[in-house]
Amino acid sequence: MSTAGESGVLASYEYLDSTVDAIEQLRKAGFKPQTYAPYPDHHLEHALGYGRSPVRVWTLCGGLTGAATGMAFPMWTSLTWPLVVGGKPIVSIPPYVVFTFEMMVLFGALSTIIGIFVLSRLPVLKPAVLYDPEFTAGRYGVYVEAEGARLDEARKILKAQEPIEVREGAKHG
Amino acid sequence: MSRDLAERHDGILRRDFLKVVGVTGAGATIAGCSTQDVERLLPYVTAPEEITPGVATWYTTVCRGCAAECGMWVRTREGRAIKVEGNPTHPVSQGGLCGRGHATLQHLYNPDRFHGPMIREGDVFRQGTWDEAERLLAARLQRGRNPQNAVDGGSVLFIGGHTGPTMSRLIGEFVAALGGVRVDYDAVTDAPMLEAARIAYGVESVPRYDIGAARLLVSFGYDFVDSGASPVEHNKGLARMSGVNDESHAKGRFVFLGPRLSLTGLNADEWIPIRPGSEAAVALGIASAIATPDAAGPYANLLQAYSPAAAAEAAGVSEEAILALAERFRTEGPSLAMGPGAGAHHRNATAANLAVMILNHVAGNVGRTVFYEAGSSAVASRMGDLQGAIASMSAGDVGVVLVHGTNPAYSLPATAGFREAFAQVPFKVSFASAMDETAALADLILPDQHFLEAWGDSAPRPGVMAIQQPVMSPVSLFDSKHSGDVMLAVMRLAVPATPPAAATFYEYLRTAHAATDDAAWRQALRTGSVGATEASTTAPALRAPDRALSFDLPTFDGSGDLTLVVHPSSRFGGGEFSNSPWMQELPDPVSKIVWHSWAEIHPTAAAARGLVNGDIVTLSSPHGAVEVPVWLYPGIREDAIALAMGAGHTSMGRYADGHGVNALDLLPGTAEQPSGAMVTVATTVTLEPTGRRMRHATVDGSAGDQHDRPIAPAVQLSLLGAEAEAAEEEHGELMELQAGGGFIPVPAEDGSPASFPLPGARYGEYANAHEGPRWAMAIDLDKCTGCSACVTACQAENNVPWTGEDQVRMGRDMAWIRIERYYEHVDATQASDLDIRFLPMLCQHCNNAPCEPVCPVFATYHTPEGVNAQIYNRCVGTRYCANNCPYKVRVFNWYRYTDAVPEPLNWQWNPDVTVRDNGVMEKCSFCMQRIREAENRAALEDQRPVRDGEIVPACEQSCPAEAIVFGNIRDPNARVTQVVASERTYRVLDAIINTQPAVNYLRKVTFHEVAAGEH
Amino acid sequence: MATGQVTERGALTHPDLTRLDDVNRDVLKMLGRPGKGWWILFGIAAGGIGLFVSLWVYQMVRGIGVAGLTSPVGWGVYITTFVFWVGIAHSGTLISAVLFLFRAPWRQSIYRAAEAMTVFAVMTAGLFPLIHVGRVWHAYWLIPYPNSRFLWPNFKSPLVMDVFAITTYFTVSATFFFLGCIPDIAAARDRATGLRKQFYKVISLGWQGTDAQWHHFGNAYVFLAALATPLVLSVHSVVSWDFAMGIVPGWHTTIFAPYFVAGAIFSGLAMVITLIVPMRKIFGLEAYLTTKHFDAMAKLMLLTSLIVFYAYLSEFFLAWYSGEEVERTAFWNRVFGNYWWATWIMLTCNGLVPIMLWFKRVRHSIPALFVITIFVNIGMWFERYVIVVVSLSHEYEPFAWGMYRPSFVEMGILIGSFCWFSFWFLLFTRLLPPIAIQELKEVMPPPLRKRKSMEGAH
Repeated sequence: MSTAGESGVLASYEYLDSTVDAIEQLRKAGFKPQTYAPYPDHHLEHALGYGRSPVRVWTLCGGLTGAATGMAFPMWTSLTWPLVVGGKPIVSIPPYVVFTFEMMVLFGALSTIIGIFVLSRLPVLKPAVLYDPEFTAGRYGVYVEAEGARLDEARKILKAQEPIEVREGAKHG
Repeated sequence: MSRDLAERHDGILRRDFLKVVGVTGAGATIAGCSTQDVERLLPYVTAPEEITPGVATWYTTVCRGCAAECGMWVRTREGRAIKVEGNPTHPVSQGGLCGRGHATLQHLYNPDRFHGPMIREGDVFRQGTWDEAERLLAARLQRGRNPQNAVDGGSVLFIGGHTGPTMSRLIGEFVAALGGVRVDYDAVTDAPMLEAARIAYGVESVPRYDIGAARLLVSFGYDFVDSGASPVEHNKGLARMSGVNDESHAKGRFVFLGPRLSLTGLNADEWIPIRPGSEAAVALGIASAIATPDAAGPYANLLQAYSPAAAAEAAGVSEEAILALAERFRTEGPSLAMGPGAGAHHRNATAANLAVMILNHVAGNVGRTVFYEAGSSAVASRMGDLQGAIASMSAGDVGVVLVHGTNPAYSLPATAGFREAFAQVPFKVSFASAMDETAALADLILPDQHFLEAWGDSAPRPGVMAIQQPVMSPVSLFDSKHSGDVMLAVMRLAVPATPPAAATFYEYLRTAHAATDDAAWRQALRTGSVGATEASTTAPALRAPDRALSFDLPTFDGSGDLTLVVHPSSRFGGGEFSNSPWMQELPDPVSKIVWHSWAEIHPTAAAARGLVNGDIVTLSSPHGAVEVPVWLYPGIREDAIALAMGAGHTSMGRYADGHGVNALDLLPGTAEQPSGAMVTVATTVTLEPTGRRMRHATVDGSAGDQHDRPIAPAVQLSLLGAEAEAAEEEHGELMELQAGGGFIPVPAEDGSPASFPLPGARYGEYANAHEGPRWAMAIDLDKCTGCSACVTACQAENNVPWTGEDQVRMGRDMAWIRIERYYEHVDATQASDLDIRFLPMLCQHCNNAPCEPVCPVFATYHTPEGVNAQIYNRCVGTRYCANNCPYKVRVFNWYRYTDAVPEPLNWQWNPDVTVRDNGVMEKCSFCMQRIREAENRAALEDQRPVRDGEIVPACEQSCPAEAIVFGNIRDPNARVTQVVASERTYRVLDAIINTQPAVNYLRKVTFHEVAAGEH
Repeated sequence: MATGQVTERGALTHPDLTRLDDVNRDVLKMLGRPGKGWWILFGIAAGGIGLFVSLWVYQMVRGIGVAGLTSPVGWGVYITTFVFWVGIAHSGTLISAVLFLFRAPWRQSIYRAAEAMTVFAVMTAGLFPLIHVGRVWHAYWLIPYPNSRFLWPNFKSPLVMDVFAITTYFTVSATFFFLGCIPDIAAARDRATGLRKQFYKVISLGWQGTDAQWHHFGNAYVFLAALATPLVLSVHSVVSWDFAMGIVPGWHTTIFAPYFVAGAIFSGLAMVITLIVPMRKIFGLEAYLTTKHFDAMAKLMLLTSLIVFYAYLSEFFLAWYSGEEVERTAFWNRVFGNYWWATWIMLTCNGLVPIMLWFKRVRHSIPALFVITIFVNIGMWFERYVIVVVSLSHEYEPFAWGMYRPSFVEMGILIGSFCWFSFWFLLFTRLLPPIAIQELKEVMPPPLRKRKSMEGAH
């Protein structure tokens, strides 16, 4: 099974705690494991040592841009086509606040979505070689890339946590 | 299709050309009487120099809508009459026009006009040529003339209506030449008044009333604003008399006596609801109270016979009321009493009029406010004479009958038996230009021209001559011919021995006025009239009556518990205007109902019978029965019920037929003696609910209740002067909106009524916001009589479509201006103060317009000139503006209503105003097209500014009461600025919602105290 | 210990769910072959859309006059229904976003359906402004698009605010909805076969549930929820300003924004219950939609119903207290005028009927709740009818008062709108997991080796 060059090993676990243990030991051993889970579980994220996601920045920038647009655009149009209605001033701020808010939300939301897609590399056009459909149902998966001896070490750690199965293959593109 | 277009286009060119020559004397004959239409494609190579395409040409002529013959201005564009207006230089009408006057345009373009002479073949009519028709008539006339003739004996009978003096003379010659008999008949006349004048003063004409000169006006059931001898003139007079003078605070008092409040009555300050037929007793009672019997000369015994007590007894009102009125006669001179008119012709109508004349005489009004002048052109239209004719027709003595300018088959009570008798005549000829009930029975129809296409003249007053000149060549769709020309042609054929001198009617007319030299003639053509009325201040002596007259209560047919009052309609007259959609959809000034008939009954009387508004009942008199919905009306006696004439046509046209009921069906076929007028208040009716109910097609949403809102407030006369502060404080502090939102108080000097609309108001920050004109309007509610002429004028000027009965019932009437009618105080049970508020409601052009900011696409906005503009082609149709308009003056095009307007009614459309599309909002524009026209004219004339009064919106132009003034409020000398300076000025609802309207109203002034609730 | 908490939270709502993949099994089986009943409903819905479209076309051709609208009542059933559907659209985002932020444990199993309802309700509501304008072919003028003449919409107009609020709301809630779906679509993909698999493959965007994906997904979800929450409140406030910014007596009041938002959530929750009760029955989701869920929603309904009823009363009180004759007449007319029946339906259905929700037995009886929510739906429609029509019929100018009677076209389009909504909702139940699989798993007890060994000891 073991092949020349880098390749990956994938272990599927039935239990959350065994998965967590596997990850922790792999990271101790200096591996960079990647996990699969049927739902976002903070235990896993903790074990993988995730910090805060930069997606918040996208939201902020989008929101601010939107707010600015939402106030500036009505003002500009009022000035380019200055008509008086209802004895109100041509540029009247109070109604424009509504647009400021709406545009803030709209741009903020859209940029957040774009943020996710960019950061988590969605859509994935080239699916993983080693993937178990059960991951979306009930199983957890741990995947490690290594070569030669390191690969054996990783396999050993993974096997120690009683996986349901262990598969190996060429590393992911 | 393209060919039709080409032909119509060519027709227009011809009209242009013909009109040009038409108005300059020479070629006039061709224009006036030409009927043959050469349809050839002519390029517009040499434009007639008097016609600039796109620029209106105006002509003067005479309105033939009724016997009043007001002076008329006609606006033509590219050879089509598109608008008629009052001629201010006319000595009788002095400007202003009634709604019916405007509607004459729809007779000109009536889609139901005949396309040529119609000859009966069996049950149908065949269109023939004029030559054929004239020969046919001539042949029949020759036969008809000699009784020995085997085919059908009998003589010639001519039934005519009111017409000009020269035409009348020609008819006389025509009938004489044929050895025939002539009878004149109009349904609505003042024959009893005329007869009374003959008896009392030997004068063969209705008296002339100078209402403006009176301080106390008393109408004994004379509806001089609705119908009567001269509605526009009298309307103007009423406004001048009762409209308060803001300097002297002088105001005349108007007292109305009668069982029912007509439009005229609603303008009174007091109402004495006397029993029908008691006018004579009341007039004599008052006369006896204010003068010694011998003041009445030969009628002294009458004054002795009728004491105020007797009068009160007869009238069913308190004696105090009679005495109080008599007291006013003594103290509040000069007074003027007017006798019963067509709406109160009971069996003693002549006596009643005579009694009123006696009252005027002893009150010393003759020569001051009432004048008796011989020779006025009012014809003595007598049903009495017609009854003789009917008898001879049914006896078979008539071989040929000709009907011109009248429609007796409709406008006579069925029981008069005209239809049956008419059917007896072997050959029946009608000169009707469009189908009517009489023409439908005829064998030959010779369609007459409309007066705007034809020559004629009028003599409304002694010493006044007005020329009726054609303003356009005849509508090319209809092959009509001037009846004068027809008669001349027929005379030439039928009486070759003695042919008439004149070849055409124009020639005949010109020779008739041979005395008038060409200069005066042209003058008459330009100004519309020559001569003027000079008042004869001499008071002739009363003559002894030459016949026995009863001054007591007349007899009423039947044993019903309700006295039937049939009155002429202020919209249809006697029914001549029923085929005009403008008149059909003009809310009746009293009931605000359109298209259908209604019976007016007092709420108490209705409650007693378990009736509610819209219950359909059967009214039966001994003479007939009709089914009609009741309308609860506080302005009628509890023992009376009223129906309007003019509805219920059977064959008059698409807009008249099947709408409402003909009130005459309930009337006896008898005539009043001795005047021979048709009796309108002569029978009682029984009322039988049918169990069915309908919703009225009305525009009145609150049954006349103002709900204590500052909409049409009034002020007591005695409080004038003390009102200034009151008005201020009632208005509340004026606030204006600020940039960041929120309001700040407007500087005091801005807040004064004179400076409205506020110069300080932000229309907002237009660069030139405080230069240039700011258009505003003032409407004096103390002058407005609610006659609704402005409504039709606006409709004509602005291409406002009509929508039909069902649409109005839904609330979808399109009028840009409506007359709101609120009852504040009406009491039909006793003599008391009367307080009715009329309010012309149009777009207020608010400076803080609620409609503007809500429009998502700027389809409505405020112009720097202060006008609330509506941009039709930008409108998306969200209708938010209409929802947000507190005055509800915005109307929406729910369908493409103008698609329903048939040829050639749409020829009347004003080319200066867009015809609106389906799904857009529209409203009053202050007649923007007229503003621009005046501005352009001013700019062309060496850049001068627009003069005050140069811009006259259609409503102002048409208002007989001169209640509306339009102008630039920025100009301190403008009339509008002057008027608005009045202490009576207020702006509708402004006090509670700060809309700052540009339309300013002047409160109505009352003699009685205005209750707090009534403002 | 963390996992311990997890266990309890799970137990709170779904006592009889143990294995994670049970959820996939139960939920995904709903996506199987549709039964006869579904096809019948779908057929009816499709037919209703036919009616809807043909009536609208008829109105475009003849003119808006075929509706009963008139002067002074320029807005009628169309705007009433517009507000009704916008209101419906609210609870979805409320449940998915607001309750998410508040970590309400009972939202997971209903929020997917609620969100779908939101999206489809906005899609329905959005049609009505188009239907009601006189010249729909020019409606795009409300959108600020660059044009040669530099004509722009009037940004002072509440209607333009509406355009922005509604489109924003639709965009945000739709993306929020879709984002939440992605992992579950992936789950469906991994179970599906054939054409469906291809379909899910595409729209799952290749989701695999890797740690990176979950990480950003989780964060983004929070921010979207944070943005959506004020949006929910803003949208119906803006809609309420369509009225409150007018000067019509009965419209021009500052209470409208909160009053409308409360009403919207009230009606939205009612509609959610109306929808998920049959869903629960048909798909046998008793394990997922327990009485606890209904109880919680019923409590929320009770609260909002109280707010709404308070708003009614304060409106009447202030009309009287203001002393303004116009206001007084307007509100007197509401209760005793020509439209008294509409007002009384409103008061009964929204104020009196929900009183029953005070009783636990009612809150726990699904049939009772179903009936009550039907009443509430009707009542809330009439609330908008009263606000729109009755206010307009009795304004400042008594002479211009009038009556409005809906035409068959309006009623047909009203019915058609329900069909249009059902059409999409029925499709949804077949194409997307109607219950949020992954979020359910978050609140379920995670599978733990330790516990297993303990069990093994027994």
